[in-house]
Amino acid sequence: MGKVQTKAAACVRGIGRFFGDFKSAVQHGDLFVKLSLLWMGAGYFRRKQYVKSALMTVLEILVIVYSLAFGMQYVPKFGTLGTVKREATFNIMTMKNEFNNYDNSFMILLFSVVTFVIWGAFLAIYISNVKRAYELQKMAERGEHINTFLEDVDTYRNKNFYKTLLALPVAGVVLFTVVPLLILVLVAFTNYDQQHMPPGELFTWTGLTNFINLFGGGGLTITFGYSFVRVLSWTLVWALFATFTTYIGGILLSLLINHKRVKGKKMWRTLFMVTIAVPQFVSLLLVRNFFANGGIVNTICANIGLTEFLRNAGLISTSYIPFLSSPGWAHVMIILINIWVGVPYQMLIATGALMNLPTDQIESARIDGASPTQVFRHITMPYLLTITGPALVTDFVKNINNFNVIYLLTQDVYTTTNQALANSQAKEVDLLVTWLFRLTQEYYNYKMAAVIGIVVFAVCAAFTLVAFNRMTKNREEGYQ
Amino acid sequence: MRRGLARMAVSAALIAALLTGCAGAGKDDGGQSGGRQTVPLTIWGAENDQAILREFADSFAEHYGEYADFDIQIGVESESTAKDTVLTDVEAAADVYSFASDQLSDLVNAGALQPLDPMEEVFQKYVGKSVEDIKKANTEGSVESAMMDGTLYAFPRTADNGYFLYYDASVISEEDAKSWDTLLAAAQRAGKKVGMTLASGWYDASFFYSAGFTTSLNPDGTTSMDWNKTADYTGVQVAEGMARIAGDPAFMAVADGDMANQLASGQLCAAVSGVWDADVAKKVFGDGYSAAILPTFTVAGEQVQQLAVVGCKLVAVNAYSEYVGWAVLFADWMTNEEAQMKSFEKNSTGPSNIKVMNTDIVQQNVAIATLGEQSNYGVIQSVGQNYWDPAKTFGEMVAKGELKEGDTAGIQAALDTLVEGVTAPIQ
Repeated sequence: MGKVQTKAAACVRGIGRFFGDFKSAVQHGDLFVKLSLLWMGAGYFRRKQYVKSALMTVLEILVIVYSLAFGMQYVPKFGTLGTVKREATFNIMTMKNEFNNYDNSFMILLFSVVTFVIWGAFLAIYISNVKRAYELQKMAERGEHINTFLEDVDTYRNKNFYKTLLALPVAGVVLFTVVPLLILVLVAFTNYDQQHMPPGELFTWTGLTNFINLFGGGGLTITFGYSFVRVLSWTLVWALFATFTTYIGGILLSLLINHKRVKGKKMWRTLFMVTIAVPQFVSLLLVRNFFANGGIVNTICANIGLTEFLRNAGLISTSYIPFLSSPGWAHVMIILINIWVGVPYQMLIATGALMNLPTDQIESARIDGASPTQVFRHITMPYLLTITGPALVTDFVKNINNFNVIYLLTQDVYTTTNQALANSQAKEVDLLVTWLFRLTQEYYNYKMAAVIGIVVFAVCAAFTLVAFNRMTKNREEGYQ
Repeated sequence: MRRGLARMAVSAALIAALLTGCAGAGKDDGGQSGGRQTVPLTIWGAENDQAILREFADSFAEHYGEYADFDIQIGVESESTAKDTVLTDVEAAADVYSFASDQLSDLVNAGALQPLDPMEEVFQKYVGKSVEDIKKANTEGSVESAMMDGTLYAFPRTADNGYFLYYDASVISEEDAKSWDTLLAAAQRAGKKVGMTLASGWYDASFFYSAGFTTSLNPDGTTSMDWNKTADYTGVQVAEGMARIAGDPAFMAVADGDMANQLASGQLCAAVSGVWDADVAKKVFGDGYSAAILPTFTVAGEQVQQLAVVGCKLVAVNAYSEYVGWAVLFADWMTNEEAQMKSFEKNSTGPSNIKVMNTDIVQQNVAIATLGEQSNYGVIQSVGQNYWDPAKTFGEMVAKGELKEGDTAGIQAALDTLVEGVTAPIQ
């Protein structure tokens, strides 16, 4: 915990310094430094960096033009997300509809966020620019050499090469991750759903209503709170089982195949790889059909009398075995099928790690009279855990979001008989992501989906942070 | 998030355009001034309609050739998923598309459909008929399913989205097929089963509608259920009737969309399904292939005729279509009497046009003729989005035997929860 606090303090100090430097630059700078508050090229111009000065001026003009011509169409409406609804009048002369100047809530949200991001980036450049002007002033006072434009460009091939390399990925992340993420977060505070779909309708801010609904405060009829707790618990149970069954299964399988008495190692390994070679969704859909209520497995079970036996034993009440259509059965089946799908991957990883197992330790343990179980418990397993630990954490997070397995195995097959879940479009076998998917895809309930999305993110982030922190700690201690 | 990306790409392009200073290139406002205009139209239809749509497009372009040139593109979009695709981005959707009538309310609520009543002028000028004529030409049910709040929003194209009873006449007599009790008894004797989907709000509602219950859609998207006032029976009695059928050893509850597989497996001697399973049924039942309207079932000791939920395939005009006038005319062109006749000849679709329906050749098609008969015992289902999951779950509870005949308290509680979920406000 102490570590986190010092990190946070350092972060705050860094921000403080950033603005503090700006303040002193404005206070102590000469006329041109002060002028660069208005004309961003002023400082560079004074130091004869004309190209840079021109670039800064162009940037400043572009941002101002963008803001006035484009950003200001949307940003002032950000508070209400639009007030004018679309209306059409038909003109028989042109055979076209003529629209009024209507607001599109989504566009307002999107372009406001884009504008905010641009303004934020511009502000950072603006402040750094003034500070840079002040630095140049001091350099000039000390009589140091001031780079020409070409020399500046040259640094981006040498000293600042990392900046050149990072420019594209960072721009990509901002454009394709940060902006959509911000929009997702903001949608959670609106009433964007099927009744409020732009461009035909407007949506607006509703504060924390959606979060209150999700956590059980939303009336008696819609049971989001009830469903949320159940879906979340199954998500965590599933992630735990799915991760550890495949992990342990993979290790055991690779140990078995790697055992010196096993013949034809390569053949066995290839055999298990086949499940990877076939696209996952094909095998999952096939398995789903096998285990459907009227599927081939049920036919076989009925023919050999297993169905009858289970019915007499009181385990099922239907004329078929509800492999994928009844809560308990489906949960177990999904985990079992996932073992079959997931073990080969884990086997690959474990095989790689096992091949690099330090043999000297094992040899000496054997000489000291350690049994194979002891060797496995005290050497092989700890070694594998250190190597595959990070993969284990990512696997857990991946399983929280394991859309494929759940969706493909249960869609169109599983119907809940829990009415409270049905009333909020959830099922016992839903993960948060599959629930989210159906809410958006079938019910256009973007606002609730956004809220669930935020929750999924919070769960994953919290788990990853804790797990990685503990792991790195253990490892540091282990190596010391 | 893919949609988000697309939006981002668009916005990025927009910003780039602004930054490089080529903004403000105004859109050309129609080619009216430059003599003949070229009207681009995009049409979406089902996979097996592609060829016939091309024919309609060509004949349309020829028929209206004196007014404009037409550039008509045809794309594939299944009627059952049209709503999902359209609502993802209404402005990018086709000008004219086919969809199943149960999607109408969602599309209207999203403002995606062009209402047809304001188009009266266009019909008068180019086709010489009125909106009223369109309503009169098609069956009452199909027109009703294309209307909301008294406004016509789409053109009926087919009236074959309903279900009825297929049976094997070598096992089940015409008389047996008249009530569920005799039907199931006959199946039991033959060691076969009768299949119907219960876990679906489209099928299981038929029992309740039969007993005089109604549903309706409110303007705010919520569903009203009147399951007590007008009905002759109580909800519990109807549900008990359902449970009685579901609990019969000769009954098989089939998962939604799985009927063709179950028919093909040969264990069924009768099934409740629609024209889409006609070919499978014909093949499996062979010479015994017959169809009839749904049987009666027992409610509180009385026989009640089971009604079917019937729907249509409709053709919509996108409210955001550029040349909305021409789009409306095309939609009319592909749904008028000649077009429906042609559709029947090519694809065996059940027409909604009354004249086409009554031709001899249509009446000779067993499935379509039966469906026509069934539509006299049909209900147009009008429900909102909160209806489907709770109704499906209720059907599944009956199918799984969790609600049994005689368990009135359990059934009452389940019905109360169902109504609560269905009529809940949309949050």
